[in-house]
Amino acid sequence: MKIYVGIDDTDSIEQGATGETAKQIIRIIEERRWGNCQGLTRHQLLLHPDIAYTSHNSSMCFTAEIETASLEPLIEAAAGCLERDSAPGSDPGLCVAAEEQLRDVESLIAYGYETKKRIITKGEAYELAGKLGVHLSEHGGAGIGVIGALAGVGLRMTNNDGRFQGRLELKVPGAIINVTEILCSNLVERVQSVNGYVLNKNEEVRLGHKLKTVLLGGKRTLLVYRREGALVWKTCTNAHLEHY
Amino acid sequence: MDDWIKKNKRGQVRFRGGSHDWLLAAGIAGNCTHFVLDDEDELLAEEERSCYNCRFRRWIDHYSFVCMKR
Repeated sequence: MKIYVGIDDTDSIEQGATGETAKQIIRIIEERRWGNCQGLTRHQLLLHPDIAYTSHNSSMCFTAEIETASLEPLIEAAAGCLERDSAPGSDPGLCVAAEEQLRDVESLIAYGYETKKRIITKGEAYELAGKLGVHLSEHGGAGIGVIGALAGVGLRMTNNDGRFQGRLELKVPGAIINVTEILCSNLVERVQSVNGYVLNKNEEVRLGHKLKTVLLGGKRTLLVYRREGALVWKTCTNAHLEHY
Repeated sequence: MDDWIKKNKRGQVRFRGGSHDWLLAAGIAGNCTHFVLDDEDELLAEEERSCYNCRFRRWIDHYSFVCMKR
């Protein structure tokens, strides 16, 4: 079965990073041979002075293919990891949704988008999770991480939200590389301009210093841009990607 | 001109440069003893040492952040 695992609020201003906690859960799943995990993504939620996030209000999500019998031990292990490894003073939340058991995908996606627009309460998150049949639990502090954990899963299910965790290593910065070579790395599924044009396999791209991919159309996408009149595509900078 | 806007009701100061003043943010961070590089997934500026990449900046909306150390 395919599952989505969302986590949020595992860090504090002084220590921790939710992406690192997610990677730790992935390690546990793979070491115990419960299944294979795919792409860890970061999803931006609403920025608002009245929300008690640490510094940027983002949540993380990854997917995994597992046997049904592994679901309960996986949830237990992920919960234990959040309780053990989250920063003191954080408010960690965990969401695990099994695709085949999910009752209403559209409601979950709508909730994900809603968390980008307005302040959501913990009660709303639990109510929706109960209706949809997804696991949602809190593991310390005020537990408000459940709001973002559920949102991370909903946004991942859109197939059109979030940046993949980590940087790509292809060639040295400044190198020009063609799209075929990029796709052959198996780290990228599509090369696309910020305006939506999908590059063909013979086109060339100049690599920047920090290569990040985003989730678009369900594919791990390397975004590029080109100044008007320029011949060469360039990979996007962090600033280009801030709204993904 | 001060680089920070006066304290809000929480006692925090907001960065005057908004979300894209790369030079100002790099200049402040270059001389800041509190600067700590944030997690890689949260970096915004290309130059590493920048308030935009600091663990102690807290975004209050898409246009500005407050410094948690001032």
